[in-house]
Amino acid sequence: MSVRANSLIGGVLIALLGGTALAASVWTPFDPLRTNLRARLQPPSAQHWFGTDEFGRDVLSRIMAGASTSVLVALATVVLAVAVGMLVGSISGYWRGWTDRLIMAVNDALLAFPGILLALGVMIVIGASSFGIVLALALAYMPSVARVVRGSVLSLREKEYIEASRVLGNSELYSLLRHVLPNAIAPVAVLATSMFGWVLLAESALSFLGLGVPPPAPTWGNMLAASRPYMENAAWLSIAPGLCIALTLLGINLLGDSLRDRLDPRMAQR
Amino acid sequence: MMGQGRGSLRLLAGLALAALLADSAGAETLLRTRLNADIRSTDPGTNRDANTDGVIAHVVEGLVAFRDDTSVGPMLADSWAVSDDGRTYTFKLRQGVRFHNGATMAAGDVVWALERWLDPATQWRCLSEFGPNGIARIEKILAVDAQTVAVTLDQPTALFLPTLARPDCGQAAILHRDSVGPDGKWIGPVGTGPFKLGEWKRGQYVDVVRFDGYTARTEPRTGLTGAKSAVVDRVRFNVIPDSAAAKAGLLSGALDVIMSLSIPDMDDLKARPEVQLSITPSLSMTGLLFQTRDSLLQDVRIRRAIALALDAPQIVDVVMEGTARANNSALPIGSPFHGSVQGQGYQQDLAEAKKLLAAAGYRGQPIKLITNKRYSFVFDAAVLVQEMARAAGINIELEVLDWAAQLDRYNRGDYQAMAFIYSARLDPSLSFEMLMGPKATQPRKVWDNAEAQEMLRQSMLTADPVRRQALFDEMHRRFIADAPMVVLFNGSELTALRKAVKGYAGWLYPQARFWGVSLQP
Amino acid sequence: MLGYLLRRLATTIPTLLIVAVAVFLLVRLIPGDPVQVMLGDAADPAQVAVLKQQLGLDRPLPIQFLYWLERLAVGDLGHSITNGLPVLPLILERFQVSAVIVLVAVAIAACIAVPAGLVAAWRQNSAVDLVIVGGATLLLSIPSFWLGLLLLLLFGLKLKWLPVVGYVPFSESFAGAALFMVLPVATLAMIEVGVLTRMARAASIEVLRLEYVTHARAKGVPEWRVLARHVLPNAFAPTWTLIGLVLGHLLGGIAVIETVFTLPGLGRLLVDSIFARDYPVVQGCLLFTALIYVLVNLIVDLCYPLFDPRVAVA
Repeated sequence: MSVRANSLIGGVLIALLGGTALAASVWTPFDPLRTNLRARLQPPSAQHWFGTDEFGRDVLSRIMAGASTSVLVALATVVLAVAVGMLVGSISGYWRGWTDRLIMAVNDALLAFPGILLALGVMIVIGASSFGIVLALALAYMPSVARVVRGSVLSLREKEYIEASRVLGNSELYSLLRHVLPNAIAPVAVLATSMFGWVLLAESALSFLGLGVPPPAPTWGNMLAASRPYMENAAWLSIAPGLCIALTLLGINLLGDSLRDRLDPRMAQR
Repeated sequence: MMGQGRGSLRLLAGLALAALLADSAGAETLLRTRLNADIRSTDPGTNRDANTDGVIAHVVEGLVAFRDDTSVGPMLADSWAVSDDGRTYTFKLRQGVRFHNGATMAAGDVVWALERWLDPATQWRCLSEFGPNGIARIEKILAVDAQTVAVTLDQPTALFLPTLARPDCGQAAILHRDSVGPDGKWIGPVGTGPFKLGEWKRGQYVDVVRFDGYTARTEPRTGLTGAKSAVVDRVRFNVIPDSAAAKAGLLSGALDVIMSLSIPDMDDLKARPEVQLSITPSLSMTGLLFQTRDSLLQDVRIRRAIALALDAPQIVDVVMEGTARANNSALPIGSPFHGSVQGQGYQQDLAEAKKLLAAAGYRGQPIKLITNKRYSFVFDAAVLVQEMARAAGINIELEVLDWAAQLDRYNRGDYQAMAFIYSARLDPSLSFEMLMGPKATQPRKVWDNAEAQEMLRQSMLTADPVRRQALFDEMHRRFIADAPMVVLFNGSELTALRKAVKGYAGWLYPQARFWGVSLQP
Repeated sequence: MLGYLLRRLATTIPTLLIVAVAVFLLVRLIPGDPVQVMLGDAADPAQVAVLKQQLGLDRPLPIQFLYWLERLAVGDLGHSITNGLPVLPLILERFQVSAVIVLVAVAIAACIAVPAGLVAAWRQNSAVDLVIVGGATLLLSIPSFWLGLLLLLLFGLKLKWLPVVGYVPFSESFAGAALFMVLPVATLAMIEVGVLTRMARAASIEVLRLEYVTHARAKGVPEWRVLARHVLPNAFAPTWTLIGLVLGHLLGGIAVIETVFTLPGLGRLLVDSIFARDYPVVQGCLLFTALIYVLVNLIVDLCYPLFDPRVAVA
């Protein structure tokens, strides 16, 4: 698939997502939290395009509101994981020696846990909340960022221009910030886009296992998990959020592909 | 199904051993049901949970047992007499009761079994009931003759027989000595029940197998007593944690019975021609607990305002879909003591609620309501409570915990409010006892009221139903006035069965009973 | 070679130690305790105290930890709190189930993904490529349990081709067990096909650009030979690394799929034990999972030269 088609489809999907999230903060067809016990589990109709859920709430409104929650949770997680991961990774790669060995041992230990289970444990400790999810998933994904950054830093710090910067008397920190980190951005950016998708998936998996973003705030993940008992009778309940997650991930993956190709065509093999 | 060889043909075959063997090998009737988690052990009343109790109830029996209406009836005892001072119970045993090893039950076996329960080494769950802080101490257990056993207590109590009958106490089962080794270590239940324990494949299934030496009581089946003959050859309890999978199993014919359905599952199954449903009210109780020591909720006006903001019948209607009724009383609807007084609870009244809130100076401070997803109807009820309270201007925030974490908060009394579910209590005094107590020493208790506490104590001492009813009525009025919690509803037990299953009946206690149940091909 | 192996093994020890400490602490940080869960809403403090003492949960944490480490050193993971079973056999039994699903699913996924990726790369930017990449990306974007449930509905309930509940171990009936495995394996395989195809395609594109491919073509080597002899082996190496990563993580992490299909696997055991606060089992499972992850990665690294001719020559 050409880079252009990638970016186009991916861009359209993500623009839709962003637009929906923004629109939902201003307007939704119905109040996404308002229950209507007389209109429970109604199939899609002219009034409720995506039907209503088990409390008679409008699914379309919840999908829209869920877009912003899901996007915010995913963004916050990615930002946190990338920030901490870059810090940890660059410290580890730049100073090397015992610092590196210690940090990497901890990092590897974290990597050795299945991410979703690590997140589950952390969620139970700090409680199921949007904040808890962000923290738990960031902790689960941070080690991969740290690894990638460390790798880049290790290979970059020996390059001539860094050496030159050091000879010129610039401090280590300055060289790190000025020259090394910017060069590590490309792989991290690619990783971050996939991570955004993972968070969406992980959030729904956590909801499925019983702990996710607490209601009544809708997220696609907890809507999908809550729809499970109704799969046979009210399939629209699971199809709407399931499709939204799948389409968003598709968009993210396509954008990620084109981002990768643009940032570094040689990286196409990662 | 493989139900060919039942009926008279089967009886004939039973006369000749070889024929019996051939028959049972070819056409064993197997009833397949589901547990949501594996049983804990085969040792009744010690390492147990509700699943364990449910399986074990097919294998062992006690002197007395609960009937369908939660009254206590005779089981292995034929009858009993209570002395005038209310302290000595003399049990006449049934004749010709056989243990699974073929031995005939006599008074000596009963004495041995009861004394084993009271031995601390047995680690009987209900031992503390007969300790210093319990209902009464047991002073003496005596075999009067081969068919008579007398038990003497240190004080009269209304709770002696109900405690013996409690399923979680292992029904104080009369077990044969062979159940334990020479060192007293548990081997397996050699009981008197209509089924023997079969193979237990941990994490997969546990079987109970028909006990051919069983002689049933003559009165109709009721609760855990009455006529309890096994009809099917074997019942297999499959361990299937996931309820959607269990439902799928029922539909595909891999399971014959699944209990404790969720409401949405019931909706799905209602329309299926191959499935029949059994819906019975249960004793479990769902409600909102308030921490009366919380800086905000210590004000009874705010607690009452929340109660008045709720339309309990509508909540029940939605979360239980017409299978259960609203009830603001601590006594379950099915209890013989639940009368007209208990029917008077809270009526939704938003104007009054707002007035109370204004008087209490409430200005939208958030109230954290803990709930969990293990019980979907508790969770759904919490969502509706939040929504209804919002209409009265009460700002409730939900906090979803996993069940273990919620239990921890419950036991420490560390919460503002929580949506909680209490399991079944089979005696009205116990229904109140689970809620009441001094918070200083028992932080898990919801209702801390010294006067009501004294009434509770009285209700445990007297066996006179009129006196007890009067006490429970007065306690109910105070319970509603104090509003330490809002009882919303008692649950219902939803069981789905393949059409081939005949003779099943649910009851107030959420445990399946597979005696008297047959499979029609 | 042996020296390298030992060195690599030695470097995993600190990781596993950190895992052990972290696991022990994390599990106990979780609010709630196993005794409360076992006793439920009817727990009275006296019973709680007795049970805690029986289980050794009343001792100070450091003592409990040291005791656990001491037993661990001789390969004893302790006994489950909820049912008293020894933890190690329990884990091994459950692991077999997970391992079969994961290995079969990943093997199937690899067999589909590698050729698909190769073809997509070979016809880069054509309609075929578009379909393959689009399909792969779509597969990878579907939440696994959603896919699992859809399959369950379709094949188990609507078509009734496959059993939907229960489980037969392979030791009892191979055919029976295989039937139960079809849906979970299919679900997992479909997701992994998505991941691996994209990887294989990217790797193949890289190889196709290399000079020796151009050379081979220039020399008139038939196209299928170029693909089979030159591109495939070289493109497989990086895919192999990813397969390792995937395997390492899946072996402990398919709780969701095991939940959907009610399989008594390791992930399910772990999640159930977390909810029951069954400390020894949670600790055992996580430690075991970490060990598997480390070992799988080690094996993958050791096998790498087999698949990458360039490394082998160097």
